[in-house]
Amino acid sequence: MRKTKLATAKFLAKSHFKADPGLREVYLLEPVNEHDPNEPIKLLEVVKGTLERGVEPIGFAADPGRGIDYPFWIVELSPKEYRGIREKTLHFGEYVWTVGKQLVAR
Amino acid sequence: MTATDADWARAYAKQALSDLRAREALIAANVEKCHRLHFLQMAAEKICKASLVKTHGHDQVRRTHACVQKQLPNIAREVFSKNKGTKTQNWQMNSIRRFAREIELVAPACDAADTREDNSEYPWLDAQGTVQTPCEYSFPDINDGDKMIVQLIRLIRSAAEDIVR
Repeated sequence: MRKTKLATAKFLAKSHFKADPGLREVYLLEPVNEHDPNEPIKLLEVVKGTLERGVEPIGFAADPGRGIDYPFWIVELSPKEYRGIREKTLHFGEYVWTVGKQLVAR
Repeated sequence: MTATDADWARAYAKQALSDLRAREALIAANVEKCHRLHFLQMAAEKICKASLVKTHGHDQVRRTHACVQKQLPNIAREVFSKNKGTKTQNWQMNSIRRFAREIELVAPACDAADTREDNSEYPWLDAQGTVQTPCEYSFPDINDGDKMIVQLIRLIRSAAEDIVR
């Protein structure tokens, strides 16, 4: 049975904390549309030492063989960039996202 | 009018950025892994060529294919040092080196001295004598959902934009 997007996001966050020593915080970007499997999960990742390039989503394909049933986007920001976000809102082109639930390493 | 090395470097850098846009479009279209890897490899190769053209000139570089593994770590050091003095950490360099090698081997021209025939474009004969097709192959040596690809793509974009500017 397919996991929910929230469960998949939690799974992704855990694996990213293991893979990236610079990763400090992960947040789910909302809205999350659980009804459309083609709409990507969006994760905001705060990474120490990352290049500061603003809001720049990078896409990844679903990979059911690895437990990832949905495509996902990662928006990576430095801690300084993250502190500069106003009203917990991110803008990218036509998209407006709100910083939602924090996802933890364990 | 004679094309300069700077013209060539800018052209390679623009193409690297376009290759990355193509990768994003292909992910949105849910295409096979070989195509996603292909455009990542192409972008990496173009930015490495852009960087090499700047230092060695276009004539020395244009027929080079196997340049990613060697040049991408150099580009990383340069880009990170320009980014407000950020230094690359050992783990960052290690992941860049690891991906640079695997991505380079995705190109059909690079086969690690005949030990790796898998590539993103053309069918090949595997060790069991079976014809493998890129669009059906899993490319088990590269996880293209790996989080560290974010770092790699942001590095390529930063370097390319610096050259295009």
